[in-house]
Amino acid sequence: MYTAWTVKHKPKSAAEIIGNPSAIKTLSDWLDSWNKGTPKKRAAFLYGPPGVGKTVTVEALAHDLHMELVEKNASDYRTEDAINRFAGLASQYASLFGGKRIVLLDELDGLMGNADKGGVKAITNIAKTARCPVVLIANNAYDPRFRTLRSYCLLIEFKKPHSSSVAKHLTRICEREGIQADENALKFIAQRSGGDVRSAVNDLQALAQGKKRLTYDDVSWLAYRDRQESIFNVLKMIIYGRTSYGAKQAVDMADVDIDMLFEWIYENAPAHLTDPHDLAQAMDALSMADVYRGRIRASQDWSFMRYVIDYMTAGVAMARQNSKVHGWIPFKFPSRIMMLSRSKAERALRLRIGLKIKRKCHISAARASKEVLPYLRIIFKNDVHMAAGIAKWLDLDAEMVEYIVGNKAKAETITAFLH
Amino acid sequence: MSFEMWAEKYRPKQLSDMVDQKTIVERLKSFVKSKNVPHCIFAGPPGTGKTTAALCLTRDLYGDGYREHLMELNASDERGINVVRETVKTFARSRSIGEIPFKILILDEADNMTSDAQQALRRTMERYTETCRFIMCANYSGKIIEPIQSRCAPFRFTFLPREEHDNHIKHIAERENIQLLPDGAEAIFEVCGGDLRRAINTLQAAASMNKPVDAKLVYSVTGKASPHDVQKMLTTAINGDFLGARKQLRDMIQKYGVAGIDIIRQIHTEIFRAEIPEPWKIKLAAITGEIDYRLVEGADEEVQLSALLARLVEAGGEINKAN
Repeated sequence: MYTAWTVKHKPKSAAEIIGNPSAIKTLSDWLDSWNKGTPKKRAAFLYGPPGVGKTVTVEALAHDLHMELVEKNASDYRTEDAINRFAGLASQYASLFGGKRIVLLDELDGLMGNADKGGVKAITNIAKTARCPVVLIANNAYDPRFRTLRSYCLLIEFKKPHSSSVAKHLTRICEREGIQADENALKFIAQRSGGDVRSAVNDLQALAQGKKRLTYDDVSWLAYRDRQESIFNVLKMIIYGRTSYGAKQAVDMADVDIDMLFEWIYENAPAHLTDPHDLAQAMDALSMADVYRGRIRASQDWSFMRYVIDYMTAGVAMARQNSKVHGWIPFKFPSRIMMLSRSKAERALRLRIGLKIKRKCHISAARASKEVLPYLRIIFKNDVHMAAGIAKWLDLDAEMVEYIVGNKAKAETITAFLH
Repeated sequence: MSFEMWAEKYRPKQLSDMVDQKTIVERLKSFVKSKNVPHCIFAGPPGTGKTTAALCLTRDLYGDGYREHLMELNASDERGINVVRETVKTFARSRSIGEIPFKILILDEADNMTSDAQQALRRTMERYTETCRFIMCANYSGKIIEPIQSRCAPFRFTFLPREEHDNHIKHIAERENIQLLPDGAEAIFEVCGGDLRRAINTLQAAASMNKPVDAKLVYSVTGKASPHDVQKMLTTAINGDFLGARKQLRDMIQKYGVAGIDIIRQIHTEIFRAEIPEPWKIKLAAITGEIDYRLVEGADEEVQLSALLARLVEAGGEINKAN
């Protein structure tokens, strides 16, 4: 199982956090003020875009100030009852244990509409009456639902850190992971992330894990993505899609063409489908998408593209019935594409040999390299005379002979016979 | 030194050299006699003599100078519409000099042409019938569009029966001074299933080992000719490791250039030997057939075959549940 680097390399102390020094200081001072009695505002409301370090800051400060952190994700505690139970546990009786405790309610944005009616009210109550520091976190503190709540809170804004700070953070991770990374590669990832440190670290892990060295070439394909929506998000929408419509929508957000998106799904869907039946369904959907691609090629009728999209998005999304995914599985760049480009030179050589065979054997170059070449390989390895004769007959050059026999010394004995 | 590929060396030169596909050869001989040839479709599996028959027919028609009256195109290499528009048209419309007023165009692997190219071809065939006759060789005549089929005389080639296959192989072995043991010939037939090109290539590769050709040698040669292990891949899949099995598949296709159609045939054979519950075998055979058909339709080999692997993973999961 993978350990997410966002967890593994999470800053332990506030000093290690990149960006937002004044916000961290404000929060730290406010936490400190609880030592001199209950401050005017009993709750702090941290807000800002995703991945800039709001939660990490609270965790690191709790560590630095030796406070116990009681952390709950608001979207798991949605109803008034549940929040009250939690509040009772965490804040009312906190003083009994000396007040060295922080209550953290994360992801307030997760509270939604009528279903969570009362949830915000219950949180407001906690903020009013808390006897230990309560920290609330949301992306948008100015959501109308939080209007009353806001007035009881110390508002602290977190901003996106500069990309050079993000790059510095990535450098530190690479050092710890023993990866030799090119500076411009890390800069590139940092810039792409748009200040979202978490996504930058996730990207870094997806690109660099298991490597000794990370070059600019390894990351430059990221340029293709996320002008509209990162490919990772698109994949999430498809592979974890709940509705056909949602999964199909993802195509419009992808910044890659359909064929490339197909490769991304084909590469990544299997690892996220643990149930064999789900996997078989998803692969069958991809197979059908591919059949329609073939039909488009054969008929040149591009209106069939809609079925390709149906199968590769909704078809894959709806395959998920019983699969559960434990832990974090990174999305990977389609390895088939990498392999294809790597073996390009080899395929070109094989095709040239195929063309030579075609001239003599009335068979297409493509089929020759598949059907005749393997036999040539055996002959060339075993019978130098026959090999030389065939090489002459087919008019193969030294490079071709060497490729077929797969051994330089042997190739030389064969070509020696030619002269 | 006069070595060449035996499949070429022993390719029949004239229709009278062709010992098999008898009814077809008889009809072709009658074309030669009347010095008239209709447009033809030669359909049938690989290695059954389609191209050979077309070449023999041409040679019998024109004699030694037959090359001047013949064009051979391979649709797998030149499948686009431009080839039809330019190469084919230029050849088809120029008049032939000599006794026979038309030329022959052999279009090999014609089922690999796009339907656009086929449409264009249909017009060319019609317009230049006077000056050019087409012989289309294809594995599946179903992939040739109806209008072309209706303009052509169809010929169905079938795999060689065991006896004729053995005669061929033994004849070559004799001429090349190869010691071919009876179980060797049998093994070649089993592995190549009547595909004579493959059979001869197998024999030649076995002969290069400089040993009497017996079954063991044949199997080791065909094992090396496809340096992959379909069985191992299936085991990986049945044990639930889809990603591992897909990696093996990818290597077969990309690194070793094994044809998807060969892999699926081996999978089909292996399914009935594999240790999976009996009811699953026929289920998987049905799925294999479906995937085979999708491949014929021109889909991506790795994607299709990995869909089949996923089914094997599923079958493997059922087995574990049962135990």
